[in-house]
Amino acid sequence: MKQSLSRREFLKLATVLPLGLLLPRTLTKSLPPDQGATRPNVIIIVFDALSAHNLSLYGYQRETMPNLSRLAERALIYHNHFAGGNFTTPATASLLTGVYPWTHRAFRFYGKVQEKLAQKSLFHAFEGYHRFAYSHNPLVVTLLEQFSSAIEQLIPQSRLMLTNDSLIQTLFKNDEDIATVGWTRTIKREDEFSYSLFLSHIYKRLKQKKVEKLQPEFPRGVPHYSDNYFLLEDGIDWLRDNLPLLPQPFCGYFHFYPPHAPYNTHREFYGRFEDDGWQPPEKPIDLFANRTAERTLDMRTQYDEFLLYVDREFGRLFAALETSGLLDNTWLIVTSDHGEMFERGIRGHLTPVLYQPVIHIPLLIFEPGRTSRLDIRTPTSAIDLLPTLLYLTGQPAASWTEGHILPPFADPAERNLYAVQARYSEPLRPLSEATLMLVQGDHKLVRFFGYKELGSSRERIELYNLRRDPEELDNLYPKEKELSRLLLAELQTAQEKADAPYRL
Amino acid sequence: MTTYYTRQSLWSLFLICAFPLHLWTIVFGLIDMSWTTVRTNLWDAVGVLSYALIFTFLESLIVWLAATLLGFLLPRHWDAERRAMMMGMLVLIAAIWAMAGSLYFLLGKPFPAFVLNFLARSGHPLKLLLAGSGALVLFTFAVPLYLSLRSKRFCKKVQEGLKNLALLSSVYIALDAVGLFIVIIRNL
Repeated sequence: MKQSLSRREFLKLATVLPLGLLLPRTLTKSLPPDQGATRPNVIIIVFDALSAHNLSLYGYQRETMPNLSRLAERALIYHNHFAGGNFTTPATASLLTGVYPWTHRAFRFYGKVQEKLAQKSLFHAFEGYHRFAYSHNPLVVTLLEQFSSAIEQLIPQSRLMLTNDSLIQTLFKNDEDIATVGWTRTIKREDEFSYSLFLSHIYKRLKQKKVEKLQPEFPRGVPHYSDNYFLLEDGIDWLRDNLPLLPQPFCGYFHFYPPHAPYNTHREFYGRFEDDGWQPPEKPIDLFANRTAERTLDMRTQYDEFLLYVDREFGRLFAALETSGLLDNTWLIVTSDHGEMFERGIRGHLTPVLYQPVIHIPLLIFEPGRTSRLDIRTPTSAIDLLPTLLYLTGQPAASWTEGHILPPFADPAERNLYAVQARYSEPLRPLSEATLMLVQGDHKLVRFFGYKELGSSRERIELYNLRRDPEELDNLYPKEKELSRLLLAELQTAQEKADAPYRL
Repeated sequence: MTTYYTRQSLWSLFLICAFPLHLWTIVFGLIDMSWTTVRTNLWDAVGVLSYALIFTFLESLIVWLAATLLGFLLPRHWDAERRAMMMGMLVLIAAIWAMAGSLYFLLGKPFPAFVLNFLARSGHPLKLLLAGSGALVLFTFAVPLYLSLRSKRFCKKVQEGLKNLALLSSVYIALDAVGLFIVIIRNL
């Protein structure tokens, strides 16, 4: 535990159940390519809640990420890449372990992966590398701490926050985590409460002053997570300044909170899309709607403007890495943990739905020396990243992963892809309230079950043809009975297999 | 310096300043201990409380320093004991208000309906709220201040009360020493 935990986080963490057994899996075993004496570096950049649906690169009407589109001319672009889950914990855990959420069981807030998988992460697989990691998002920090035995440099979350408490971490470096918790509880006012009666007010005021200074740069407010304010620029600068100095080969994971809500863009992009007149396709209001249609439209515009800021910073990072020469021997991965949704009366990603804006995420791989673009349209999953990176860097294959080596590095295999939303299910029991997705070829089947909103049937099933109907407007489930039955049977078989160890 | 404070009066003032700060930290630190234990283990929970005590000790020092300096503004002819008593009393009142502020948010209890209705009807609810709270706080400072200037009996009673608090506070300071010891062990 190397991260300050607020009282509220403790409350959430206390709900985490003991971890259980894992069903071992076998996987694709490929012989790695000969890498010679010098092994390449790997850096994974994750932008939280970056939906492929809102990227110009993937056909979105607004030019939200021009730098990414420009740089994609030299990258492998995955057009049908799916997250493992609908929010950070399950999705990131899948990316880092190479298994689906129903296998790692980290599908609740601040959830952790099963104990056996705690020693089977991307970081463990890259033994011999200098492994480092950072996340603005504390849900990811919880996971990184679980893998910390295999991370040489786990950068504290507060290090890249505007008000960090590095003095405490320096003073008590042998007991950094607990000292930080003590400091947090004493001085930082959480919900207007702390142990300190006077100093906490002064501390809060000083912190506010620091943030207020930046307010003119961010008309909607300085980007923040809870009351932790940060600048995306600081994270980008850290990478620019530190990557060239790190021992090589290195394997790094950097998880930026933007463009996650709140969508506080830089003033350079504020209002850019406000009056462009563009309207997204109209869609019916969903059963799980949490906003009005007008509100989702406003939020979409704010999100799109936030993407411009993320894009500017990514462009800056890419230019710096290129100038330093690092990209000559580094695989640079740009992806997200999950998407974000602004339609059907839903804003965000925390409802039970698994529509494309929530689950379709970008994946770009910048290969050392590549000068041309390659578009890959085979459906792929976040769990494929781990086996692919091991293959590309000449590491032994990871025996536990459920993912496949991505095309074009291996022939695309006929297979089903899954995603799991099970925030309300007990991790060590069979799934009781969940949404499960299966993608097979062009078809996507989604099954909702156990939600009280579903009424007496307690089940909802949808089938879409993503190639013909990318906006998911035509539910084929009632029409394509035979195909629906087959896909549903496959989904249920996979679920039963995943749940088997948890049946009494 | 000795005209204003004696060593004994400074120590008493420090103990009085430390009392409310430590009381608050210890009560809520103990409430939080179970959460920390669930998350990690008892030793870590003890560690968190130990750090909290150390930080509270530092806060006590700062508050004491501020109170001591403010005490120089009191009439020069006041003896050291009376000066320390007066400053200690003011620190206590300020601490009680700080606790009340935190408890208000912690318990999440809204103002009674008649107060809210009255504020809403006034046309300037925020101004009225600020003025009302300011007047109430000022009153709670002014009354004891006035009484301590006018009544020797009141002064004596306050001094006796503060002496008892100081005694209790010395136990807290002993706990700080234990906390410091734990922090040192944890950092070896």
